[in-house]
Amino acid sequence: MRFLIRRLGFYLLAAWASLTLNFVLPRMMPGDPAAAMFARFRGQAQPEQIEAMRKAFGLSDAPLIQQYGTYVSHALRGDFGLSISSFPAPVIQVIGTSLQWTLLLGLVSTILGFVIGSLLGVFGAWRRGGLADSVLPPLLLFVGSFPYFWLASLALFFLGFRWKLFPLRHAYADNLMPSWSWDFIGSVGTHLVLPAGTILLVSIGGWMLGMRNTMISVLAEDYITMAEAKGLSQNRIMFAYAARNALLPNVTAVGMALGFVISGALVTETVFAYPGLGYQLLTAVRNLDYPLMQGIFLMITFAVLIANLIVDLLYVRLDPRVRG
Amino acid sequence: MAIDQYEELSHLFQNWRLGRRRLLQTAGALGLSASTAGAAFSRSAPAAAQASDKLLVTVSHQQQPSWIRNFNPLLDQDSSRWPTQAGIYEPMLIYNTATGETVPWLAESWEFSPDNAQITFTLREGVMWSDGQPFSSNDVKFTFDYMIAHEALAGTESVRGVLPLIASVEAPDAKTVVVTFSEVYTPGLYDVGEQMIVPEHLWKDVADPVTFANENPVGTGPFTEVGAFQPQYYEILKNPSYWQEGRPYVEGFRAPLYPNNDSANLALVSGEIDTASNFVPDIKNTYVAVDPEHFNYWFPSVGTTVHLYANTTRAPFDDPNVRKALSMAIDRPQIVKVAMYDYTTPSDGTGLSAAYDTWRSADAVAAGDWVTLDLEKANALLDAAGLVKNGDTRSLPDGTPMSYDINVVSGWSDWVSTCQIMAKNLGELGITAQVQTYDFSAFFEKLQKGDFDLSIWSGRGGPTPFGYYRSVMASATVTPIGEIAADNFHRYGNEEADALLDQFAATSDASEQTDLMNQLQMVFAENAPLIPLFPGPDWGEFNTMRFTDFPSEENPYALLAGYENPERLIQLVTIKPVSA
Repeated sequence: MRFLIRRLGFYLLAAWASLTLNFVLPRMMPGDPAAAMFARFRGQAQPEQIEAMRKAFGLSDAPLIQQYGTYVSHALRGDFGLSISSFPAPVIQVIGTSLQWTLLLGLVSTILGFVIGSLLGVFGAWRRGGLADSVLPPLLLFVGSFPYFWLASLALFFLGFRWKLFPLRHAYADNLMPSWSWDFIGSVGTHLVLPAGTILLVSIGGWMLGMRNTMISVLAEDYITMAEAKGLSQNRIMFAYAARNALLPNVTAVGMALGFVISGALVTETVFAYPGLGYQLLTAVRNLDYPLMQGIFLMITFAVLIANLIVDLLYVRLDPRVRG
Repeated sequence: MAIDQYEELSHLFQNWRLGRRRLLQTAGALGLSASTAGAAFSRSAPAAAQASDKLLVTVSHQQQPSWIRNFNPLLDQDSSRWPTQAGIYEPMLIYNTATGETVPWLAESWEFSPDNAQITFTLREGVMWSDGQPFSSNDVKFTFDYMIAHEALAGTESVRGVLPLIASVEAPDAKTVVVTFSEVYTPGLYDVGEQMIVPEHLWKDVADPVTFANENPVGTGPFTEVGAFQPQYYEILKNPSYWQEGRPYVEGFRAPLYPNNDSANLALVSGEIDTASNFVPDIKNTYVAVDPEHFNYWFPSVGTTVHLYANTTRAPFDDPNVRKALSMAIDRPQIVKVAMYDYTTPSDGTGLSAAYDTWRSADAVAAGDWVTLDLEKANALLDAAGLVKNGDTRSLPDGTPMSYDINVVSGWSDWVSTCQIMAKNLGELGITAQVQTYDFSAFFEKLQKGDFDLSIWSGRGGPTPFGYYRSVMASATVTPIGEIAADNFHRYGNEEADALLDQFAATSDASEQTDLMNQLQMVFAENAPLIPLFPGPDWGEFNTMRFTDFPSEENPYALLAGYENPERLIQLVTIKPVSA
C-alpha cells in the first residue's frame, strides 16, 4: 500500500510538471501563428488578412503568470481553447476527430506486436538453435531496419495501388457512416491491414529479441532445472516458470509503448492518409497552433503517465518482490 | 502553393528504387484499370444513407489533417471548407483574370458617381437565399456593416484594406446599394464587389461571427446543401433553386481527405480525382502520360510575381543602377527551367504576371531591358557606381568586399534552388552571396522588419496592377526599419509613382487608367524598385473521364485552380457531366 501511495504522489508531481512545461515550451517557439497561416497561402492571401486573423485567434498579451492561471484552470476543466489551424473548432473537437483512429491503430499494432513477438521469443528460446530461433531474429531485424517510410510506401504501391488488395487511404470506406454494422467493422478492418501490418512488420523483431534474450538467461536459472527435475510438463515450465519471469522487461516496454500510442504513428498516418493524431500534431506544430499542440502534448504525457501507473500496478501482481 | 509541402513532407516516390518517373509510367501501363482503386474496395459495401449515390465531382482543393465542419464565409478562405466562399456564398461581381472582364454576379450593374466617391450597385432580381427568403440590398448593407464592426473577420481577398475608407453603405431600396467612400479610391470597386454576402435574417442573431462555424449554411450560391460530413469525407450538393436557370450542371462535389500532396497525387494518377489544385512534379510524364486522352493540366503564370527584394535603405542597394546590375546577372531562364520545372516564364521589366497582359505596356517592357542576362553591362554599371572589382571580388567604395546573404525559407525547395542559382550568378560579378535559410516565422519577421540585404518573396495580386505597384513603389507603404510592414519590405518610395497612383485611384475612366498604368510601368522599368524573377504559376489539374468543360489553355474562360477566389464560381456553374 505504501508503495502505491508513494507512486501516486510521484505521478501527481509529474502531471503538474508536464502541465507547466506544456505551457512554457510552445511559448518559447519563435513566430506568430497568424504569420504561419499566411505562409501556408504563400502569396494567395492578402496582407490585410493577417491582422484580422491575429485578432480572430485572440492571441493574448496578458502577463504570463495570469495566462498560466487561466491555462491551468481551463485545462483542469478539459478546455484547451480554439484550434488555430482548424479555426474556430475547439481543440477538444479537433482531437475528437482523430483520437479513436490513433488509439485503434496504435493499440492493435502494439498489442499484436507484443503478443506475437513475445510468443516467438518464448518458442525461439525454448528451442534454441532451432529453425525459428536461427532464421526469424535476423530476418525480422533485417526487415525492421529498413526505413519505415520506404517499406510503407512499397506496401501502399504494390498491395494498394497496383494489386488493389487493400484500400489506399482513410480509416473506413468513404460511403459508410460510422455504426456498429458488420459492413462498417469489416471496412475498418480492411483499412487497418496495411497501416497496422507495416508497423507490425518493423516492430515485431524487437519484441521477439527482447523476450528471447531474457528467456535464455531465465532458462539457466536453478528453479527451471528444479521444475524439470520435478517432472513438470514442458508447457508448464515454458510458460508458468520461464516466460512469466522473463516477461517483466517486456511489460515495462509495452507500458511505455502504449503510452506513446496516443502520439500517433506519424509516418504511417502520412503514407496511408490515416486520420490519426500524429498528422494532426504535425500540422499543429507547423502552423504554430499552440492550443492544439498543448492539447495533444498534454494527452500524450498523461497517457504515458497512466500507462506507467498501470505497469507499476501490474508489477505488483507479476513480481511478488515489489509488494514488500 | 504547396511545392514546399510536397518536397518536405515525404519524398514518397523519390525513395523508391524505381524512381519517380518510371514508377508512374508503370502506373500508366495499368491505365484505366487503376482508376478508383479506393472505390473498388468500397463497392463491396452498400452505400449508407448519408453518402450521395449521384455522380459527384471529386476534388482536392484543400489539405487538412481532418475535415472540420465550418462554412463561415467571413473568415479567411482556408478556415472554411471549400467552396464556402464563391460556392455556397457569392459576391456582387467577379473579376475574371483569364478574360480581363468584370462579370456581374449578384449585382447586375454598377456606376460611379461623377466625383467617383460613390458606387451605386443595382442588384439582380429574383435571387433567393437557399432557405427561400429573398436576397436584397439589406443583406449587402448588413454584410459590410458587420465586417466593419468585427475587425477579426478576414473577409474575401483584400476587402479589409478598403473597409477603413468606406464612409457608409446605404440601401435606398431593395435593389440598390450605395457605397460611399471617405476618400476617392476607385480600385475599391473590386474589393467591395468581390466580398461574399451573407443573409441578414440569419446572421444578425449570431453572437460571435468570428468563432461561428455556420454548420448549416444558407447562401445564394450554386452549391448550398451539405451532404455527408465526416472527418475524412464530405459532400456539397447543388442548390435546387439556384438563380441561374438550369445551372449548375453537376450534382455536387465530394471531398475525400487527401492530407498532403503525395496522397492527392496518388489519387490523381489513379483517376479518382476529377479536379485538383496541387503542385505535381514533372506533370507531363507523371500525370498526363498516364491517360493523355483524359488527364490534363493548366498552369498559367498568373500568380503573384516572385522577386529578389534588395533592401533600399542599405547602400549600395539604394542605387537603381546597382539593382539593375544585380538583375542583369541573374540567369532567369535557368531558374525557370531548373528550379521551377519550366512551369513559368521569366519576368519582364514591368514585374507584371500574365494576369495583367491586357495592361502590359510594350514601351515599358522595352525600357526594362535589365531583366535579360548581360554580365558585361552589369559589370559596367557596377564599375560606374564606384564598386570596384579587384581580382575576383568587388568592394564597396570604403573597401569592404561586397558579401551578402540571400534569405529564403527553409524547405521551400523551389525558392531555395532559385536562390542558389542567383548566388552563383552574383558571384560572376564578384559579389559573394550566401543562401541563408530560415524557418518561416524567423524569415518573415526579418522581411517585415527590413532586417535583410537580399531576400526572396512574392509580390501582391489583385484585379488590377494598382495594388502591386502601390505595394512596391508608394511612399505611403514605406514603413520605418524595425517596424512590421505589410508589404514594400524593400522600403522604396517614388514621388512620381505616388502621383500616378493617386490619379489612378481617383478616376474611373478606363482609358485614363490605361494611360496612367502605362506610366506606372515606365516608372517601374526605369527604377527597378525590386528585382522581378518569375510569375508564380497557378496549379490546376482536371480529368475529363466523367466531367468536362473545365477551363484550360485551349478554353480559358476562367482560371482553373480551385483556390482562385471568387473566380472559381464561373467554373463551378460551367462544368458538366460527360453524358449530358
